[in-house]
Amino acid sequence: METRVSNSLSAAQPPKKAPQWLWPLLWGALLLISVVAMSAAEPLFRWLEPDAREVIYDRAELYVLLGRHLFVVGVAAVVTVIFGVAAGIAVTRRWGRDFLPLVAQLASLGQTFPPVAVLALAVPVLGFGTLPIIVALMLYGLLPIVRNTLAGLQGVDVDIKTAAHAMGMEPAQILWQVELPLAAPVILAGIRTSITINIATAALGATIGASNLGDPIISGIVNGNMAYVLQGALTIALLALTVDSLFDVLQRQLRARLSDG
Amino acid sequence: MIELSHVSKRFGDETAVDDISLRVPKGKFCALVGTSGCGKSTTLRMINRLIEHSEGEIILDGQAIDAYDPVKLRRRIGYVIQHTGLFPHWSVARNIGLVPRLLKWSTADVQSRVAELMDLLGLPVDEVGHKYPHQLSGGQAQRVGVARALAADPDILLMDEPFGALDPITREKLQDELAKLQARLHKTVLFVTHDMDEALKLADHLVVMREGRIVQQGAPLALLQNPADPFVESLLGGLERGLKQAALTRVKDHMTSMGPTLPAQSRIPGTFSLRQALSMMLRDHSDRLTVVDQHDVPVGELSLRRIIKEAQLDNGNPRE
Repeated sequence: METRVSNSLSAAQPPKKAPQWLWPLLWGALLLISVVAMSAAEPLFRWLEPDAREVIYDRAELYVLLGRHLFVVGVAAVVTVIFGVAAGIAVTRRWGRDFLPLVAQLASLGQTFPPVAVLALAVPVLGFGTLPIIVALMLYGLLPIVRNTLAGLQGVDVDIKTAAHAMGMEPAQILWQVELPLAAPVILAGIRTSITINIATAALGATIGASNLGDPIISGIVNGNMAYVLQGALTIALLALTVDSLFDVLQRQLRARLSDG
Repeated sequence: MIELSHVSKRFGDETAVDDISLRVPKGKFCALVGTSGCGKSTTLRMINRLIEHSEGEIILDGQAIDAYDPVKLRRRIGYVIQHTGLFPHWSVARNIGLVPRLLKWSTADVQSRVAELMDLLGLPVDEVGHKYPHQLSGGQAQRVGVARALAADPDILLMDEPFGALDPITREKLQDELAKLQARLHKTVLFVTHDMDEALKLADHLVVMREGRIVQQGAPLALLQNPADPFVESLLGGLERGLKQAALTRVKDHMTSMGPTLPAQSRIPGTFSLRQALSMMLRDHSDRLTVVDQHDVPVGELSLRRIIKEAQLDNGNPRE
């Protein structure tokens, strides 16, 4: 029966396929071009900053900075997804329900904390470098994931859960086969928000010595070089757009799978 | 067999079900009727342990339900609810095959069982099997719900207002089909409804509940003839009671042999009810009907006087 579902899926998809993947491919291509061939746009930046000594950021290759940026965001994302979804699941189980208000409040507390403040607090404890920024991103990215996991799981129709119990499914079977698949679109939306926000927030890491795509921005601000700022901002924006459009495709596919044969 | 003795359920200080005892013999159809909040759904859910009872004993096939593992118990009991509770992300066929798969049947067995059930419930396998619940009509979805409940061939079927959300025409159709299905499968059924006509139509045994207690129980005709109190009487339709009683009695159980006079023009099949006979008399301005068998051959006649006399004398239970 599994195969029947996927067959009908692939049968329904080909006409949609091209426009669906268009945006992530487009943004991804632009991102690649910008990190590899930013120097080609030198005349443009020169026009912007005619008096600067250098207009193309060259203290590090942009693709190296992109790699570090992705690493920081990626590590934070993996940890937040695991902890966020697990926490959301735990407090919606019968045995963890007492912790529901606590977890919901802790998660929103994380969001009210400005990331800069987290960095300022983290540096004395964790030192300079990559670790404090990962910690800050984790705290910051946790809320959307926890909140959406809770909303997704609590949004599963009571009748469906009752039926699943009454048919004799084990709690774990209900979670994996019924609750999580039905909550998946909402959970995924939370992960999308979390990661997209963190791509932008990670740039703050440059202020505490975690080298990433924030470097050109900080350096540009410090040296009064708008061209640097623009290069960093442009690359980060393209990265965010690429990842966001990828999630968009993922969500569409998930929704199509849930609602149609 | 389902047996409840002195069962109560308390939620905190509130008593939802108060010391009820009832017995559904194997193969019988029992309807629990009452206004909303009277504890009938709670009673149902205590049987498959979706809700644990506080006091008393619930016995299935000679064994107290506390002795069963709840998950295994539920796989042996079919359960149908009003809004179906079908899994929206699974195809119809996958939904129906749920319990057999939980019981680890082979894929081939599950598939053939699903096809068999869809056939039984009038769902075309090729057309509906791969569809998703949201693509079905209300009636179709509820058929799938019933098919899912019957999938592992349980002896016991619990139904919680299964037709409550359907339009009257679909509801009546599904009631008729359920009656036919029950005549074939002989499940032990406990059926919750607030619709007295539905209960009278389907049940062998009627249980009227109010505020967590059983007010009266017995055969439908017995209740109609002898309601215990004004509440039961009003639930049974007050003045309409006579007609409801007539609806439970079949023409062929009360017809007389053909008289010497000319047969009446209006013909009624013997399987119809006295209520339908009365309606036909009113429609055709006639106090006499010719009773025919399934081949439209006259087998007897029924007069208005006879129907009225039956209503007076009828103290037994002609409904088998």
